[in-house]
Amino acid sequence: MLGGAFHAAVLFLVSAGLQLVFGVQKILNLACGSFYALGAYLGVSAVTWALGAGLPAPLFVVVLIAAGLALAVIGPVVERILRTIYDRDESFQLLLTFALVLMFEDVIRFVWGTAPHQLGTVYLVYGQLRIAGSTVPVYNLVVIAAGALIALGMGWLLTRTRFGRIVRATAENREMSEALGVDMHSVYARVFTLGVALGTVGGALVIPATAATSEMGIELIVEAFAVVVIGGLGSMRGAFVGALIVGLLKAGAIAIWPEVEMLAVYVVVVAVLVLRPTGLFARAAA
Amino acid sequence: MIARALGAIAVVALLAAPVVIPRYHVTLLLPAFAYSIGLLGLNLLFGTTGLLSFGHALFVALGAYTAAALTTHFHILHLETLLIGAALVAGVVAVPVGLLCVRYVKIYFGMLTLAFGMLFYSFLYKFYTLTGGDEGIRVLRPRLLGQAFAGLDKVEFLIGPFYYYALAVLAMATLLMHRIVRSPFGLGLRAIRENPDKAAYVGVAVRRYRFYAFVIAAVFGAVGGALLAVPTGLADPLLAYWTHSGNLVFMLLLGGFDHFLGPLVGALVFILLQDTVMSLTTYWRFVFGAILAVIVIFFPRGLLGLLAWRREPTA
Amino acid sequence: MTLLEAVDVRKFYGTFCALDGVSLTIAAGQFVSIIGPNGAGKTTLVNVLTGLLAPTSGRVRFKGDEVAGIGPVRLARLGMARSFQLVNVFPGLTVGETLAVPVLARRRRGGRLLASLARDRETWSDVAEIAALFGLGDRLERPARTLPQGDKKLLDVASAFALRPEVVLMDEPTSGVSTADKHAIMQTLVQAAARMGVQAIIQVEHDMDIVFGYSDRIVALHQGRVLADATPDAVRADERLIDTVLGRSYLAR
Repeated sequence: MLGGAFHAAVLFLVSAGLQLVFGVQKILNLACGSFYALGAYLGVSAVTWALGAGLPAPLFVVVLIAAGLALAVIGPVVERILRTIYDRDESFQLLLTFALVLMFEDVIRFVWGTAPHQLGTVYLVYGQLRIAGSTVPVYNLVVIAAGALIALGMGWLLTRTRFGRIVRATAENREMSEALGVDMHSVYARVFTLGVALGTVGGALVIPATAATSEMGIELIVEAFAVVVIGGLGSMRGAFVGALIVGLLKAGAIAIWPEVEMLAVYVVVVAVLVLRPTGLFARAAA
Repeated sequence: MIARALGAIAVVALLAAPVVIPRYHVTLLLPAFAYSIGLLGLNLLFGTTGLLSFGHALFVALGAYTAAALTTHFHILHLETLLIGAALVAGVVAVPVGLLCVRYVKIYFGMLTLAFGMLFYSFLYKFYTLTGGDEGIRVLRPRLLGQAFAGLDKVEFLIGPFYYYALAVLAMATLLMHRIVRSPFGLGLRAIRENPDKAAYVGVAVRRYRFYAFVIAAVFGAVGGALLAVPTGLADPLLAYWTHSGNLVFMLLLGGFDHFLGPLVGALVFILLQDTVMSLTTYWRFVFGAILAVIVIFFPRGLLGLLAWRREPTA
Repeated sequence: MTLLEAVDVRKFYGTFCALDGVSLTIAAGQFVSIIGPNGAGKTTLVNVLTGLLAPTSGRVRFKGDEVAGIGPVRLARLGMARSFQLVNVFPGLTVGETLAVPVLARRRRGGRLLASLARDRETWSDVAEIAALFGLGDRLERPARTLPQGDKKLLDVASAFALRPEVVLMDEPTSGVSTADKHAIMQTLVQAAARMGVQAIIQVEHDMDIVFGYSDRIVALHQGRVLADATPDAVRADERLIDTVLGRSYLAR
């Protein structure tokens, strides 16, 4: 169960990024999985280097998060590329992000090679707890807590800050916002970068529990996509609930009937798309 | 007129290929033929009706697995039966999937088709007692029109009788699709693409037509999938993975989705390009991603669009 | 013969009452204009009459059959067509192709998968005939998006007429068209209707010149109710009606 929550926390981060970008820019960014993978790989490299340079073990989390945030610099660059087709049909936008997926896959391959990268057991420096008969690394709990914190943070950002209000207004009605003098380019760039950061940090944080592999990005996008469908396109709350559902569903499936793992998730996706295509927390029609 | 001349040259070139060009390149043409057939179906959905499916690979995989299962488990070796079997299975599966999917449009349609594709992939991957898991199911060498060509080794079979058989199937598929696109039904589909609400008002049964297009596309996809699996001798789960669907759309865009022959050009160029680039660098995905990006941004109408061949008029 | 009738139609959107007991009978040979201020319920009434919306209560009958909420496709089959205020075309189809779609629908040939459209002489001669009636006969090959606005409007209406409906319902057929062209369009419409066997025309219209110039019956809607259902002369003479529906400024003309 807690394994499910851990997975859900990471999934939430990536999905939140997806939702943010979709809600504001109406683009379903298939490359969010790539950002996740990039975060993971860079996280491994950064922590390995830092530990080798004498960093005290408990601080490795900081390095992970820093690595994730550092990658956010690619946000504006990618946004600039996507900017060229904002006014085109959604199919083309989807295809462009697919092109990015392909490109990032090889960038990762080029920098880090094809073998999986791992962090080893440094995360155990936080110790482990016995909960309900199973052993859970405290690190996992830290990540879950971090996920929840970031969720609250996002909520605060969107509802209490000026930036958040601008973002929501733009998501609601782009023309109005433009007419009211909001600088679209700047908003889009910042929103996209935030979305990227969420993805890269999510990838970095998941690293201690898994290895960074060359397929992780492509596999993740399908789960993230399931999350946003279940939760509802463009909704933050949807990302949170959706991630929880998918995470727990996977954990439950693995425990009960392993073959059905992803199958169960897709069945739910199809069911949601059929019964309530706008998801559980529907926003104004996409 | 130029179009006709080029077309004639292309046909002659294709017919002469096994004799004239090196064996290796002839074997490359085989998946190009198979993909062409599958893409003709996809383009009925996208180019003609305006529905972008991100799950077409489902039917390609279905065709491959049907052929594989028929040869390996049921010892049926007649390729005609395999193709018909693939078509039937795809048609049957496409009915419930299609009924569900055509209720939605645009991004929801894309997402739903992607989900179904991945559903199938998970099924293929996980239920390994049935599907062979990640090893897939083998496809045994089929008989063409009853002939086994036992005297030929694998390559000779592929670049000889099988090549011409596949080319013939492609030709028939192309003619059939051409008929469909130029029919009243095809015009109805195009009206739906242009303005679905208005189409309803002038008497077009929008959802029903979309459904028919979906099933036809699925059948073409499966026939292509079956033909694809013969040269490789294997049907494996990756055929259904969403990136494979993405590649199919890539091929379509490359050739040009608003020209009838776009699918064929796209498949051929993609396969040849993939082979060339793969031999030049291991980072072929990057190159392909870049090419796709360039196409999407600068040349959305693809190669045939570049050559400024207009959509074919009906009258 | 009664072609279209609405019997005590009510339509509620939640608690908001858009139509409050509207009854209407349209018979063959009539040209009816529906007028009324914005928010009077004209669009809702049209949507209910054309089967797009099901009324909350009341009945809608077309040639005796219940048609409440049956949707545009089935309604087209039954013989009623509709055109819209905002120009609605198939941008990428040619004029000829645009007209061929409804012609094929009417001839029940739309679903043929394998027949050659190009060789369907009957369909194309129908198309040519209809195009000629609307002054578009010389432009069959042009894509609809390249037509000037007025011609797009004509094409839009022509495609409704191409269903050879018995009743045509037009939503502001001359909106967006310059005053000089308005009458030209209306003349074309009326002539085409006569030639094609349209038996009744219903239009929603704001331009009173057009309304008085062409209708033989005017239905005035106000706040979801029928305020008047009379001949143009009777309406013109009723100052209070004009005031309510059109405002004092019209009286001052």
